[in-house]
Amino acid sequence: MNKNETVERRYLPEISRKEIDELKNTVKVSSQKIIADNIERMKKADPHRPDAMKYFDDIANLFGRRQQEIQAEKEKGKKVIGYLCLFAPTELISAADAIPIRVNSGWYDTSKLGDRVVPVEVCPVIRSTIGAKMIELSPFLEQSDALISVLTCDGMTKLSEILSDQKTIWGMNVPRIKDSTQSLRFWSDEIRHMKTQIETFTGNKITRNSLKEAITVSHRATKVFRRLQELRKGNPVIMGRDAMLVNQAYTWDDKKRWTEKTEALCDELEKRVQQKDWVCNSDTPRVMLTGTPMFWPDSWKLPTLVEEGNPQGIIVADEQCSGERILSDPIGVDEWSMDDMLNAISERYLMASTCPCFTSKDGNEDRINWLLNKVKEWNVQGVIYYVIRGCMLYAMEYSRVKKALDKINVPVYYLDTEYTREDVGQLKTRVEAFMELLNARVDF
Amino acid sequence: MAGELIGSILSLIVLVGLGTAGVLTVLIWKKNRVARVTFLRFVIQAVGLAALFFLFSLEPSIPLLYVLITWFTVTLFLGRFFCGWICPFAFIMDIESLIRKTLKIRHRLLPDKLNIALHKGRYLILAVFLLLPLALWLLNPPPNTASAVMMAQLLAGPFRPYSIIIDPLIPFVVPWTGQLVLGSVNLSYPYIGNILTFVEATPGQIFAVVFVAVTLIGAFFVRRVWCRFCPAGASIAALNKFKAFKGVPLLYIEKDEEKCPKCGVCKRVCPVQVNDVYEQKGGKIGTSQCMLCARCVEMCPYEDTLKIKFGNKPVFKSRNWLESSIVNEERKIE
Ligand code: SF4
Ligand code: SF4
Repeated sequence: MNKNETVERRYLPEISRKEIDELKNTVKVSSQKIIADNIERMKKADPHRPDAMKYFDDIANLFGRRQQEIQAEKEKGKKVIGYLCLFAPTELISAADAIPIRVNSGWYDTSKLGDRVVPVEVCPVIRSTIGAKMIELSPFLEQSDALISVLTCDGMTKLSEILSDQKTIWGMNVPRIKDSTQSLRFWSDEIRHMKTQIETFTGNKITRNSLKEAITVSHRATKVFRRLQELRKGNPVIMGRDAMLVNQAYTWDDKKRWTEKTEALCDELEKRVQQKDWVCNSDTPRVMLTGTPMFWPDSWKLPTLVEEGNPQGIIVADEQCSGERILSDPIGVDEWSMDDMLNAISERYLMASTCPCFTSKDGNEDRINWLLNKVKEWNVQGVIYYVIRGCMLYAMEYSRVKKALDKINVPVYYLDTEYTREDVGQLKTRVEAFMELLNARVDF
Repeated sequence: MAGELIGSILSLIVLVGLGTAGVLTVLIWKKNRVARVTFLRFVIQAVGLAALFFLFSLEPSIPLLYVLITWFTVTLFLGRFFCGWICPFAFIMDIESLIRKTLKIRHRLLPDKLNIALHKGRYLILAVFLLLPLALWLLNPPPNTASAVMMAQLLAGPFRPYSIIIDPLIPFVVPWTGQLVLGSVNLSYPYIGNILTFVEATPGQIFAVVFVAVTLIGAFFVRRVWCRFCPAGASIAALNKFKAFKGVPLLYIEKDEEKCPKCGVCKRVCPVQVNDVYEQKGGKIGTSQCMLCARCVEMCPYEDTLKIKFGNKPVFKSRNWLESSIVNEERKIE
């Protein structure tokens, strides 16, 4: 249910249909090229890429198969509920027989359009999403009948307001201090409220069984997700970019099919482990990414530089809400009563999250512990702290992360960039210098 | 006669039950990582129940005092393990929880403050119970010396007053004459004996019935409600305060700070609402509120984050319970 066009727009400028169509076509064409190029490079990086990746290459085309599938479902009467942030309880959406889909934008070109609405100081993810809305570029954003927006950072908070010019928006208030009973109580009220809202909107009741089914689907996905991450612990059998694409595809793919395909991928990779068939030398520096989310396709800029650099690095883990945070925590249901399931969902989304929007009496210590644990378990040799200018929360937490990593003697590199392709050359130098450093440490 | 028959039927049931339970345990242990310990616990509780039945039916009977001493000695080493894994009264409560779970009825939580107040106040409750006989005696002095002597023996005899400490040991079906005989099966219920001893005939009976009803209904909605302030648990806890074990017994829960993202699962699943496992940053969990049932360890979704340790050896660790039982061999970098 798109809002009536005649509603007065508070933020978004009026653009003529003709301009919209023109811009949309240009950006779409260039985006399709970037997608194809990214995939081409991923194929080249690993000449003997797992067969199972074919499926993900296909689903990675944002203007392809998945868009048509969703369109077909919509025509059959299904609702699509988009979300802008991982805090949105997707199980509730699936349980109400609607399609959950993440709509954050990774298009660099649209961020310039967003500049017409908000100043350039604002986080590019936000600007780019606004731009995508202005020219109706994002298939998933256009297809969503409603959007769940969780007010995590300042950008997200205002983004939902801006998008409400054209979309039905449901805001969710996330408490900033997560480590307290009153926060949890508040949040689980929000979750319960969201449940009612989804039920009313879709006209489908969320029953105990449908919710249980949705949670089980998520459990299976988390299970195979963990299996994939487990495989990245040893000698590299999969390029980091491939794994990152798989993880991210979960946010727009059909959950069940994604699980099956990822299982097939893991089977294949496990065989390779047995045959000791590695994607690169075992002394390639093992890199972990953390910081601002990297959305497909344009933000593959940095991972590509890391894995195609000279010297080369391999990404073995990440701590990003566009990556491993999507699936790493299961919903710990104790008893399958409605009440306990909802409590478990509330806790899973609030307490297990390591988003930097939180603080507590120990600061955001959970994130530090998460990072330290990852670094140790995945034998990470260097961490790239990725920040796009305008992303305050991640930028501000850097010093603490650096101190913590210094203590265990793991180098961390602060890499700031923009939603632009212009700085690739300069980034390349910086990334390669860091890889040199890691290599020197490995040799030593 | 009937008693003997009941006895042999019971032992048959117990044997068959244990056999089935054994098979089921193996199956569940393999299949379901979030229920295996809970299930094992049920089996052990059932075995404990049977063992206690036969212990009580031994001829000549074992003085309760010996039971008490043995129990306390074991306690010194294992802490409240007894509460989590053996106590028959708790078994009844756990069965009720199981029924409630199957019916998909939600449980209620005690407010945290009340729970902690009960936890802290249980020594007081214990003291009141221990002194109750004395108080009753003073309030209602026996009419003549002969009955006074009888009363004194009854109340201050070799074990009576502190029998409340081990009363949860008394299972439902008892080999001796219980408070209620139904078709020559002797039924009993913890604390009923004490109530009937201390309170006069009719009010005593009413009080007893109310007590049974309240505890049964309470335990249906609130998991392990009695354990929050149980005098038996309190006495165990008091024992564990002995400095020899630095406040922490041999069997304990340990948490790995770095691996825990504070997801809160352990807090929600704990049947006695222990917050310490969640709140404590890491290391040994020292609270005597915990009865070592291991539910939190079983449910913690992050590998090796929570461990139950005996001495220095981990006996059970939290696992990635999404995995099946086929444990992947750990991969190393060559
Ligand atoms: S369940 Fe495990 S990971 Fe979660 S808070 Fe408790 S100890 Fe930490
Ligand atoms: S803290 Fe853990 S082991 Fe202790 S009683 Fe609670 S669930 Fe059981």
